Amino acid sequence: MTQTDTALEAALDALLLADSSALDGKDMEGWLANYAEEDEASYICRSAENSENGLALGFMYDDCRSRLEDRVTFVNDIWVGTFQDYRTRHFVQRVAYQRVDASTISMRSNFSVFMTPTDSGITQVLAAGQYLDTIRLEKAGALKLLSRRAELDTSVLPRYLVYPI
Amino acid sequence: MTEIGLTWPKNFNEVPKAAFTRKDIYAEEMKRIFFGQEWHPVAHESELPNPGDFKTFRLAGVPLLIARDREGVVRVFYNACSHRGNQLETAVMGNKTEFECPYHRWLFDAKGDLVGCPNHRDFLPGFDKSDYPLAQPRFDSFYGLIFVTLSAETETLTEFLGDSQNTLRELLGGDGRLKLLGYQKVRYDSNWKSYTDNDGYHAPLLHQAFKLLNWQGGKGRQFAATKHGHICFESALSVVSGPTVLKDASLIAFKGQDPSVGSRIVSLFPTFVSTKHLDVINLRFATPVDEETVEVHYAYFAHQDDDEDMVLHRLRQSSNLLGPCGLISMEDASIFHRIHIGNHTPGNAIFQKGVHDQSKLESEFLQNDESGNLPRWEYYRSVMGFERAEA
Repeated sequence: MTQTDTALEAALDALLLADSSALDGKDMEGWLANYAEEDEASYICRSAENSENGLALGFMYDDCRSRLEDRVTFVNDIWVGTFQDYRTRHFVQRVAYQRVDASTISMRSNFSVFMTPTDSGITQVLAAGQYLDTIRLEKAGALKLLSRRAELDTSVLPRYLVYPI
Repeated sequence: MTEIGLTWPKNFNEVPKAAFTRKDIYAEEMKRIFFGQEWHPVAHESELPNPGDFKTFRLAGVPLLIARDREGVVRVFYNACSHRGNQLETAVMGNKTEFECPYHRWLFDAKGDLVGCPNHRDFLPGFDKSDYPLAQPRFDSFYGLIFVTLSAETETLTEFLGDSQNTLRELLGGDGRLKLLGYQKVRYDSNWKSYTDNDGYHAPLLHQAFKLLNWQGGKGRQFAATKHGHICFESALSVVSGPTVLKDASLIAFKGQDPSVGSRIVSLFPTFVSTKHLDVINLRFATPVDEETVEVHYAYFAHQDDDEDMVLHRLRQSSNLLGPCGLISMEDASIFHRIHIGNHTPGNAIFQKGVHDQSKLESEFLQNDESGNLPRWEYYRSVMGFERAEA
């Protein structure tokens, strides 16, 4: 049994909420800032159905820092004005975490995301699932995402995705 | 067949928007098209590579079970017990050599034979298990691509594919020896025809990405095959040269062999779209859910001869380039929704680009002509029995 570390848990929750807040605010630079600067920093959004069947393909497969940076370019520059926009609200809850080594923690959290298209104004569930995160404890004491896998229970999306989950 | 009142415009380049939205027309499409004389792709054999692998799929609501038996033979069954009709298999995919219905414990093997049923002494006198295999629709395959038809009168698959066969074979890696990478599945708030009318055909004007990426379209041809109006595109692959806004240019890199016809699209009537672009091999199994909704399963593949690096390259490119969240296709998905909303207005959708004479149909088109969709619309009109207005 891991001894409860309330300061660490508060810091993990703060990271979870910072990511939700950046995504719901469509602040892609803020989203990127939650990831470690390391080259191998990654975000992969994939259906649990693919994962459970040994299929690596994702809805988004940003397996290096440069792809995370390109994701910001997609949303902020390339796709501007081409889609029906929608609001999201992320609800996240830490379920479990574990220290891997002195500078690394793994964490599992649940998420559900509501979506409200701006044209219809009707709210529906966009996706539910879990985040499987590896978190870097940086020297200055900050926590950053080294890798995040958003594993979607929702194998059939109700809409195309513009923003990461 | 029910006669549906809808007068089709006299011009070949006009489609009445009511065809996309009326419930009575949708119900008639089910009878005449989805249960009619068409072949519908439902899987590629490489989705179930090993003995015992299976996939389930609903084609216009009809539940199908596609299974590979111990000897490696792939068959298509209705996914319903031959006893009371209970849905037999609930998993989307998996590996089983026997399928047991939980309702009365009837047990089937992957050949569809009933191999066990408890208490059959209580059944009708003369009950014989061999009279109760799983029922099967007609099916056939083309380089591993499995097609189903729900009509006994449908022509052969070869006749159905006609002149689209070469393009489709090349798109399937030349020999159909593919390796599944995974799926992206999505529902669009769009009539199935708005989806197919806009998925294969790509107006480059839509793609802001092309400009920002310094990406020019390659030269190519578009042609219609068979009376069904299947649409085939074959284009030279243009590869981005010079500066790009991307930090990871591997997303738009080409590592394959043959850029001269590096880009192919085959769009088969009624709903199937497939594409090979850069190193992405993508088969889109689409099925109507109702008149306002279409569900599309984007399946992505590598080739069996690829080395590890190439498989990884295809995986990374496939995930981020052409699907419902892809760099150069996310806005297509948005167009499906917006076209469908716009179709709830009076009048006709009008095709312009590439139309030379609105009283004639052509079969060869330039790559970016929207007129390539018109032979399919003419076939749709005739199957549905809509009369064209007098001049």
